[in-house]
Amino acid sequence: MNSPDREAVAERALEYSTAEQTEIGVYYSHSELTRFTHNYVHQNVAASDVAVRVRAIVGKRTGVASTNALDDESLQAVVTQAIEMANLAPEDPDLVRLPSGGPVQTPPGAYIQETADAAPRLRAEMCDAMFKQAEQRDYWCAGFVSTADSGITILNSSGARASFDGTDASLNVKINAPDSTGYAEAYDNDVTRIDAAAVGKRAADKARDSAKPESVDPGEWTVILEPAAFGELFIYLSHHFSAQAFDEGSSFLSDGLDRQYLGDNVTILDDFEHPLAPGMPFDYEGQPTERLELVAKGIGKTVVTDSYWAHKLNRPNTGHALPGPNAYGPQARNLVVSPGSKPMNELIAETRRGLLISRFWYIRPVDQKKAIVTGMTRDGTFLIKDGEIAGGVHNLRFNQSIIESLRDCEFGNSLHRTGSYSYSVVVPAAKINNFRFSSGTSF
Amino acid sequence: MSFDAPAQRALDTLTARGGQYGEIRFESNRTERIEARNGIVATLSDSTSRGYGIRAMVDGAWGFAASSDISDTGIDRTAARAVEIAKAGAAIVRGKTAALAPARAYVDTFATPIGRDPRDIPLGDRVALLLEAEKALHVAQEIRVGRAWIDIWTTDKFFYSSIGSRIQQSIRQTGSGIEAMAVGESDVQTRTFPGDIGLYKSGGWEVVEQAKLRENAPRIGEEAAALLRAPQCPSGTFDIILGGSQVSLQIHESCGHPAELDRVMGWEANFSGVSFLEINELGKLKYGSDLVNIVIDNTLPEGLATVGYDDEGTKSVVSDIIRDGVLVGYEMSNETAQMIGRQSNACVRAESWEYVPMIRMCNLNLLPGDTPFEHIFDDVRDGIYMESNRSWSIDDHRLNFQFGCEIAWEVKNGKLGRMVKNPTYGGITPQFWNSCDAIADKNSWTAWGTPNCGKGEPIQTGRTAQCAAPARFRNVAVGVGYRE
Repeated sequence: MNSPDREAVAERALEYSTAEQTEIGVYYSHSELTRFTHNYVHQNVAASDVAVRVRAIVGKRTGVASTNALDDESLQAVVTQAIEMANLAPEDPDLVRLPSGGPVQTPPGAYIQETADAAPRLRAEMCDAMFKQAEQRDYWCAGFVSTADSGITILNSSGARASFDGTDASLNVKINAPDSTGYAEAYDNDVTRIDAAAVGKRAADKARDSAKPESVDPGEWTVILEPAAFGELFIYLSHHFSAQAFDEGSSFLSDGLDRQYLGDNVTILDDFEHPLAPGMPFDYEGQPTERLELVAKGIGKTVVTDSYWAHKLNRPNTGHALPGPNAYGPQARNLVVSPGSKPMNELIAETRRGLLISRFWYIRPVDQKKAIVTGMTRDGTFLIKDGEIAGGVHNLRFNQSIIESLRDCEFGNSLHRTGSYSYSVVVPAAKINNFRFSSGTSF
Repeated sequence: MSFDAPAQRALDTLTARGGQYGEIRFESNRTERIEARNGIVATLSDSTSRGYGIRAMVDGAWGFAASSDISDTGIDRTAARAVEIAKAGAAIVRGKTAALAPARAYVDTFATPIGRDPRDIPLGDRVALLLEAEKALHVAQEIRVGRAWIDIWTTDKFFYSSIGSRIQQSIRQTGSGIEAMAVGESDVQTRTFPGDIGLYKSGGWEVVEQAKLRENAPRIGEEAAALLRAPQCPSGTFDIILGGSQVSLQIHESCGHPAELDRVMGWEANFSGVSFLEINELGKLKYGSDLVNIVIDNTLPEGLATVGYDDEGTKSVVSDIIRDGVLVGYEMSNETAQMIGRQSNACVRAESWEYVPMIRMCNLNLLPGDTPFEHIFDDVRDGIYMESNRSWSIDDHRLNFQFGCEIAWEVKNGKLGRMVKNPTYGGITPQFWNSCDAIADKNSWTAWGTPNCGKGEPIQTGRTAQCAAPARFRNVAVGVGYRE
C-alpha cells in the first residue's frame, strides 16, 4: 500500500475520533524470504499486511487499539475502542501533547522499486549462485535471501503528518566444510547491488581457510572484529543512548554528559541519512528525527528523546520515539560508528598475535551498567601470527565490557552495513586489545 | 464462524495452479497488554490481527504465502503466490527434496480449558491490580524502576488441508509479572517475579491470580535493593541448586533447542545453529544422569504451548525425548519425522497467520524427582543456590553455555547462608546434565512458560513451556563472566 492510500486510511480513522488528541499509525509490510540448507530451498515464504494503530488521549489518559481490518466499520470500531480504553485508564500527570511534527525528507536510496518488485525467481537465482560456490568445493551451504518493502504513515490531531516508504534486501550464507565453516552477508536497500556469487565465494574461502582448526587457550587476546562481529557486539550499547536509561541510571552515560567515557578515536552517530542505510526520517510519533553525534571523540554528548522524555528532562525532542506510550523509552535507530584510517588488512598486519573473528553468536548482557556481555565466536575464527592469518581455531566464549573495548581500540577505514532481524548498524572493522575469552569449544 | 468456502476456494486455486498438496490456516489473534511503570500505566493496548497463510507443495518444494486480504481476489492471489514460490524453489532443486505431505487428516475442535474468563474482569480492576503491585515494589529509595504487567492472548484458528483436515481451535494464554530495578553507585540490580519473565500458562484469569503479584512485590523490591549491598558471588567450582524457573531456562536452551529435528538436520545452520544431538546418537547418547527424564507433553492443560493439533494438523501427543538420561527422541514435524522413520509428535507451530509453521519445543518437561525441596540442600557442604535468570548464552551447537541469575545464596553444610549478587555458571551440556543428582518432587513442579522464544528466518516468536522443579548439580564452574 503506497503513501497516499495509507494517508487516506489514516485520515478516515482520524475523522472518526472524538478524543481530545488522537494519533493514527498505518503500517504496511510486505516481505519475502527464500531459505536454504544442504544446497536446496527448504523454506520459501511471502507475507503482506496493513495494520492501523490508534492512540487516543482523553485528558491525561491514554488508550491504544489496533486492527488490520480497513473497512469503515472496523476503523470506527478500533477508534471507539481506543477512546473507551483511555476513559478507563488512570491519569498520567507527565503526559504531554502529541508533537506537531514538521517537514521531513526521505533520504535518497531508501526505496528501490527493483527490491519491492523482486520475484521468487530472482531470489532462487541468487540462492543458486551461492549453491554453486559451495558445490565447486564439495561443501554445503545454508542461508537466506530476503526482499521487503514497507511503509509507515503517522497522522495526529496536533498536525503531524509523515509518510515513509522503504525497501530492504539481505542475504547471508554459512558454508560448511568437513571440519570448518565460513560466513558472509550483504545488506542493502537495493537488491540489484548485491552480488550473491561474491558473497558465497567469501564464505567458501573462509570455510576453506579455517579448515583443520586448532584449539587456542582462552584468556586476553588482541582481536580483529570484522564488521559483522563488531556490529553485533556494538548493538548492545544502543539502549545506553536512550534518555530513559540515562535518567534512570542504567546507562554508562548516566554519570553525566560531556565526560570522556570512551577512547578519543571513538565517534558514534545516529544518522538516518547514511548512504549505506538510508532510513525513516521521523519517529513513531511523526516527529522529524534529528541526526545526532551521540559520542564525539570519546565524550558523551547527548541522548535520544521522544516527546515524553524531552519534556521530563527538559531536553529537545530528537524524534526517536517508539510507538507510544511504551515502557522502553526512546531508542537510537540508525547507529553509525565513524571509521579509522587503516584498512582491515593493515590492522591484521600490525598484529603480532591475535584472533580474527568473522561473526559472534548469542551475545547477552551479563552486567547492565558496566556493559559486560558474553557470547561465542562462530563461522570463521582465525589465528593471527606475526601479522598473517595462520589458520582456523576452535570457537571461544568471551566475557567482555563493551565500554572497556571502546577505550582501547582502533577502527578500519571502510564502513559496512550489518544487521540481523532486530537491528541495522553501520560500522567499520575493529581491533580491540585485551579482549577476554573465558572458555572454548571442540569445534 | 466458518471458513469452509474461502478455504475450499484457496485449495481449489492451489490445485489448479499445480500444487500437489496444500493447506490454509485462518487465524484471529488478539493481544491485550497492560503495563504499569513507576506509578503510571505505560501500556494499555488491545490489538487484533486477522489473516491466513497458505502452504503449497510442488515437486518436493514448499511455498508459503500469507495475507490479510480475505476477498475472493485476495484468496486467489495468495494461493497462486504460494504455488509460484514453491515452483521457484523446485526449479533449483538438486535431487534432494524436503517436502513431504502429512499422512493423516482430522476433523475436530479444541478449546483451552479456562478457570476464569478474563472478559469477566473489568479493565479497571486489571489496571488497579498492576498499579497496586507496582507501587508495592518501591520499598527503598534505590528502587528506580518498578514494573508490573499482564498479557492476555486469544487465538482462534481454522485449519484446512487438501487431504481433508478441518480443525477449529480456540486457544487462550495468560501471563503476568513484576520487576524491580535498583540503582546504586556503579551498579544496577534487578529482581523479577515469578521466575525471570513472569508466570505464563494456557488458561484464563486464574493464571494471574496464581502469580500473587501484590503479595510478593515487597519482598522482590527488598531483594533488589539488598543486592546492591550484597557481596559478589564467589568464583570456583561449586555444587549448585537452581530454582525451578532457572531449570526451565536450562531445559529450554540446552535440551529444547538441540532436540529440534529441523536444527539437527541443518535447517537452522545459518542462524540458530546446529545440534550436538545427532541422529546417529539416538538411543545411545547419555545426555544426563539416570534421574533426567524429559518429555514432550502438548496435552498438559496448563502448559503454555498446549493445543489440540499443531499447525500442520497433527494431533497433540506425549512423547519421550530423554529417558533415564538417554536421548530417545526429537521434537518433530511430519516431514522430518518421516525422514528418520518416525511419526510427528505435533511440535509444529507458527507465531501467527503470517508465518510459516516450523518445529518448536512446545511443552518440554523435566519430570519431577522424589526429593522434597527443603531437603535438596542436604548433603551440600559448600554450594550456591541461584534463582531467576538474567543472562543466557549458548553456542550454535548447544554445548558451551553460560547463564547468569538475578540472585543467589551461599549454601554451607546444608543450610542457606548469605545473599550474593551477579551469580553466573557455565559448562558443557551433557557434562552438566550428567552431574544432576537431585530433582525436587512434584510439590515444587511448575508449568513455567516462555512467551518469547526466537527461532527461524523470518524470526518467529514461539510460546513454549518447560515444566520443572528445582534441581541440584555437582561440581559446576561458578563466577565466570566477572574479573577477579
